[in-house]
Amino acid sequence: MNERQSPSDMPWRNGSEPFVRIVDVSRSYGPVVAVNNVSLDIYKGELFCLLGSSGCGKTTLLRMLAGLETVSSGRIEIDGQDMAGISPWDRPTNIMFQSYALFPHMNVERNIAYGLYRDGLPRSEVTDRVADMIKLVQLSGMERRKPDQLSGGQRQRVALARSLIKRPKLLLLDEPLAALDKKLREETQFELVNIQEKLGVTFVVVTHDQEEAMTLATRIGVMRNGVIEQIAEPREIYEYPLNRFVADFIGSVNMFEGVVSETDPDRTLIRCEDADMTINVSHGVSCSPNQRLWFALRPEKPEISRHRPENADNVVEGVVEEIAYRGNLSIFRVRLKTGKQIDLTRTNQERSAEEPITWDDPVFVSWDAASGVVLTS
Amino acid sequence: MKRIPLLSIMALIGFIFLYAPILSLVVYSFNESRLVTVWSGFSTKWYGELLRDPQILGAAWISLKVAVASATISLVLGTMASLALVRYGRFRFRELFSGMTTAPLVMPDVITGISLLLLFVTMEALFGWPAGRGLLTIIIAHTTFCMAYVAVVVETRLINVDRSVEEAAADLGAKPLRIFFDVTLPSIAPALVSGWLLAFTLSLDDLVIASFVAGPGSTTLPMLIFSKVRLGVSPDVNALATILIGLVAIGIAISAFVMTRNGRSSETDA
Amino acid sequence: MGRSRLRFLGRRVRRGADVMTTAVGSFFMKHRRLLVIAVPMVWLLIFFLAPFLVVFKISFSEAAMARPPYLPLTSWEDGRLLITLNLGNYQFLLEDPLYLLSLISSVQIAAVSTIFALLIGYPMAWFIARSPSRRRNILLMLVILPFWTSFLLRVYAWIGILRSTGVINNTLLALGIIDEPLVMLQTNFAVYIGIVYTYLPFMILPLYANLSRLDPALLEAAADLGAKPATTFLTVILPMSLPGIIAGSMLVFIPAIGEFVIPALLGGPDTLMIGKILWTEFFNNRDWPVASAVAMVLLAIIVLPLVRFRRARG
Repeated sequence: MNERQSPSDMPWRNGSEPFVRIVDVSRSYGPVVAVNNVSLDIYKGELFCLLGSSGCGKTTLLRMLAGLETVSSGRIEIDGQDMAGISPWDRPTNIMFQSYALFPHMNVERNIAYGLYRDGLPRSEVTDRVADMIKLVQLSGMERRKPDQLSGGQRQRVALARSLIKRPKLLLLDEPLAALDKKLREETQFELVNIQEKLGVTFVVVTHDQEEAMTLATRIGVMRNGVIEQIAEPREIYEYPLNRFVADFIGSVNMFEGVVSETDPDRTLIRCEDADMTINVSHGVSCSPNQRLWFALRPEKPEISRHRPENADNVVEGVVEEIAYRGNLSIFRVRLKTGKQIDLTRTNQERSAEEPITWDDPVFVSWDAASGVVLTS
Repeated sequence: MKRIPLLSIMALIGFIFLYAPILSLVVYSFNESRLVTVWSGFSTKWYGELLRDPQILGAAWISLKVAVASATISLVLGTMASLALVRYGRFRFRELFSGMTTAPLVMPDVITGISLLLLFVTMEALFGWPAGRGLLTIIIAHTTFCMAYVAVVVETRLINVDRSVEEAAADLGAKPLRIFFDVTLPSIAPALVSGWLLAFTLSLDDLVIASFVAGPGSTTLPMLIFSKVRLGVSPDVNALATILIGLVAIGIAISAFVMTRNGRSSETDA
Repeated sequence: MGRSRLRFLGRRVRRGADVMTTAVGSFFMKHRRLLVIAVPMVWLLIFFLAPFLVVFKISFSEAAMARPPYLPLTSWEDGRLLITLNLGNYQFLLEDPLYLLSLISSVQIAAVSTIFALLIGYPMAWFIARSPSRRRNILLMLVILPFWTSFLLRVYAWIGILRSTGVINNTLLALGIIDEPLVMLQTNFAVYIGIVYTYLPFMILPLYANLSRLDPALLEAAADLGAKPATTFLTVILPMSLPGIIAGSMLVFIPAIGEFVIPALLGGPDTLMIGKILWTEFFNNRDWPVASAVAMVLLAIIVLPLVRFRRARG
């Protein structure tokens, strides 16, 4: 999904006017600060994901956009209009609740039509639009069913249809896929993106599932303790996390703690005691000498071999401690002499390698000087 | 939401409506004047008069005996009825049984009263029992309508009892009777207490049914109050009401204290 | 007494108890199910169901100056059993407009009171359901509390409030709002107040039980889809609380029809309620057969909503 837009479609790269502006927004409940001074721009047509673990403030932020939660301080603008003092029923936003919040006493049709009737649209127009929407979310034949007669996936689509039918400027989705089982969740992810592209509505999705965020989002905002730690495209967030929290939260990572021993514009050496090695990095780092920092290495970057590789930028010796077979790939856990563990993955391309590396084999782990990230916080 | 102030005001008016009459009873029970609603100074003389009135004390004693007896019997019968309904699944005449346990809840007192009286009269003519009307007939009548309340209260609790605890006891070797006394009874104990108290209160409170089935010499407190009140307001009834309200308040305070100490959420099913 | 002797006694008592438990236990084990069902069943059959049959029977007999004050239905004549069914009591009820009027008036008074109880009880139930859970139990307690104090005395309290020299009139007169005391006691208005006041907790509790289960997200969803609070109430809250409304209304309406104490104390001579009529027939006129017939008619009126209520409760 990440590659679906050409750079000209990425308004955050070319300085366009943002569609939603969140400026210094805070929300506190007594002494508890749920959202702390968050600023965020979202652009038209985006599918923006707010990612974080539970209690990080992402849902509160979403509910403030919907007007279901008041803003303690700061400002929210949607399409140039300040949202302060505007009630939820007057906002150009619609929200899809995590629990779906379908009206149990209304059938599918009435649930979806609810918002249109509130706008006082004539019956004939409502009927047409509801029929179109039911076709779009593939619920034909279910019109007269009550929510308790639907499966989880069908309920999810009713909730989506109900929140989309008013053609909101901004659609807010609170954990839209969390209640579905894994298989259905994966299918629905793509469906959601298709619908979003077809209708061109701007989506803000709250999720705790980093895979979901990576699949869906044009950009991701990673939240922790009411603060946004990083806002970036999925690839950037994965390859260039800003700090240890983001690196660790998105995917898995091997973290090396060390001290800068040498830094030039195109080369940095980090002395890492717990691996008993000096790590070679192919770019400069803006830091003071002897500063403590961290080197993050994704498990798919290093190579593993029985013999010491030649011309490798970084090599370290160890013993295979654990192998987990995952079908498409295998995960190796290598214990270094210092006791530190490095996890690395290998894709299982051949059905059987000639003499596969196995438990307790002495091995060499090596990686390119360009394949990790240096983090200063 | 903006609606909350309006709603709070409506709720407040509702609560005032519930408590203003009770408050006025209490206030005027300390009024010196016989003209109840004309305030002429603080006095406790009506309490003194009340406590010296042998008629009232006698009626109160009868009511107390009736209430204790019928609350206790209806606790046993009502608990059995709720056990049958919750635990024994289908049995013959179950519909009739459950209908008979809930119908007394909404049955007008006049119907219950007249029908029980006519039953007692007929039974006396046929079997010579119960001989005449008195305490016994009142207790039977009160037990019959109180057990419905007990059954409902205990039933709500029984439904929520985790059966796996009983199964655990059985698995550890307890026989059914043991299980009942060791596991089931303690877990429905709060409902039994509130069921008994509810039955006790209802019995103590009943005027209509008792009026039908009482005999000479078994005038209950409500019957006496009714005959006094029918003739107009009387200050000693205010004093009596205040004493009863005080007793209830003390009872509630004790039960609230016990409940908070036990750390149980109060589940009043009345 | 020595300590060992005490212990011995204790052991004996305990062993005795054990023997008893086993004896009771084995009997109980065998007939447990039967016992638990049969005991309350028999009680209810004798003291709840049978009385109706007796009332039904006596409603067909003739009043007489006797003890008991009615004639038996059956008699032996020439060695044959004669059953005399006297429909006169029911005929009497139909002919004298008093009974029909009091029936209509009972239903009307009960219905009006139920509506008022709903109007007062609904906001209270909603308020309690929306309160923070810590406060909720206290508020519920406040609703139930009056129920634990004497019903008779609470009705009596209204006499002191409503009568011409009562609290309300005294206050209004003192404030100069009215010149003459309002007549409130001994009117149907007073009866409405009495019924609403007495049965309000029965309206609030089922409504609360229903409303507290309402998912707040549904209200947010309605607001988000463009419904103002009033619309949310009409389209979501009200339809979803319908079962609670029905249950609460039944719990007020059914017993209110046959109410005696409230019309007797607060109503006037022209307040016609069937419960009062029955009482008068029975105690003042000593006409047991007519009173029985009135009871049967009242029962018939109540059974219909009662059956529907039971069905609604599932």
